[in-house]
Amino acid sequence: MSHVDDGALHAYLDGELSPLESQDVEAHIAQCPGCRRRLEEERALIARADELLGLAAPPDRATPPFRPGDREPPVRLWWRVRLPLAWAATVVLALGAGTYFGSRVLQREQPAADQRTSDLAATSTLAPAAAPETGATRRAAPRPVGRTRAPAAPTGVAAERKSTAKDKSAEVVVAEARPETSVALRDELAVSAVKPSLAPQPVSPAPAPALAGMVGQYALTGPPVTLDSARAFLGTDPYAVPDLPVRGIYRARLIGFSGVVVEQALDSSTVIAVITGRQAPLSLQSVVVTDAARADTVKPAERALMGRAAATPDSLAAAERKPEAAALHARGAAANRPAAALVSEVRGPLSADSLAALQRRLQPLRP
Amino acid sequence: MPDDLADVYRSTYRALVRFLYRKVWDAARAEDLAQEAFARALVHKPANARGWLFVVAANMARDDARRAARERRHLTLLKSEPPASAPPSDEALHTEGEHSQVRAALEQLTPRDREVLLLWDSGLSYDEIATQTGLARGAIGTTLARARRRLVEAFEAGRTGEHVARG
Repeated sequence: MSHVDDGALHAYLDGELSPLESQDVEAHIAQCPGCRRRLEEERALIARADELLGLAAPPDRATPPFRPGDREPPVRLWWRVRLPLAWAATVVLALGAGTYFGSRVLQREQPAADQRTSDLAATSTLAPAAAPETGATRRAAPRPVGRTRAPAAPTGVAAERKSTAKDKSAEVVVAEARPETSVALRDELAVSAVKPSLAPQPVSPAPAPALAGMVGQYALTGPPVTLDSARAFLGTDPYAVPDLPVRGIYRARLIGFSGVVVEQALDSSTVIAVITGRQAPLSLQSVVVTDAARADTVKPAERALMGRAAATPDSLAAAERKPEAAALHARGAAANRPAAALVSEVRGPLSADSLAALQRRLQPLRP
Repeated sequence: MPDDLADVYRSTYRALVRFLYRKVWDAARAEDLAQEAFARALVHKPANARGWLFVVAANMARDDARRAARERRHLTLLKSEPPASAPPSDEALHTEGEHSQVRAALEQLTPRDREVLLLWDSGLSYDEIATQTGLARGAIGTTLARARRRLVEAFEAGRTGEHVARG
């Protein structure tokens, strides 16, 4: 028999040769000192490789119990799909309501205007939704088309000036009316959000908000888990809104965090997610998400403004630019961040204020 | 839950986590992916659950790496923060260093060599490795011999380089 090659030696040492093949190898080694020496070398190599691989092994944790109830395939949280639709609906609603209330206020403020004012008002009410005010005004003003130095010109100019002045006032009224509307809308949402339990809740110890924006943005749900698993995983109780039914508990997959998502029903058609996370000791200590500073650097008032402003298309773009600015502050935020702080956030198809209200009510979830 | 899958879970879960860990290098994520692989096995009820799990796990780890690469575009790498507790002991530093040296050495292997080595280290037999990788069964021993040798060589080379650098 020829010499045994490395592959056969490894297969022999791995116990992966058939009995017949093993006998052949042993017979050859018995009478070939070279192959016997190589066998010992390969044995040492295998031991060394196993030792090295053992150095790069995950921490030896107990195998979690296999529970059939835990093993449904993970589902996408529904608002991840519906969020774009919800945004579109919000924009339409805000514009529509602004137009409606704007026209109401306008008519109330200018009851004694002349015949043209009502036309103007009708035009102006469209202004916030569609064309710039000046354009609308020009169309509304009875201005001579062929503008010459004829005697008719002064009246035309006067009419234009007059209507422009009126339009200015209309614009102001509209501008004032719209915030009112959105505040009213938000209050309504906030009320509906807390409706299931109107009893005043003791303010829970506010979880560190340092990374709230980051957690929400990067949370992906993992497999469903039991409350026991979630608790073992976080080292403490996950947060939840008291008195709301818990529909499910999932592992959250967050960059650099160990997290749990508690899915709760606000009412029959609205579900929120309460994300509780802890910085994972192993993962990505050197990585900071550029968005992380948002919660730190934005004051509550600005935050509310952002939430409201986000209802208009223009400021959507502004909100998108925000992370760039936040990146500048990321380093400072990272320096201030306490190690392994528990963070939590409420997400759902609600206004920022409603979510903030829910966030304030968070309590550790107990069985 | 079928009994056989429960058996596979008991015998294979840690091995699957071990396998995934060497691909994603994050213990929590490796466990997540292992759980998800078993969850999918419950749905798909594969005939050869053990081999199927490793195939699915390998695919998930690859997808996960792609997603992580995408997400990294939104991340800024900064110096790691100083730990809140006392500085780690020399021994801990040593262990941490060896861990990353092994990782670096593993990443110097060719994808095929690495895959075969990781599958073997996770407890798969030559037959199972051959089925999963598409290699001939007779080539597994040769591949493993090469992978082990290169792993040890790359590790020793990395360590020597470090000692030289330290002076």
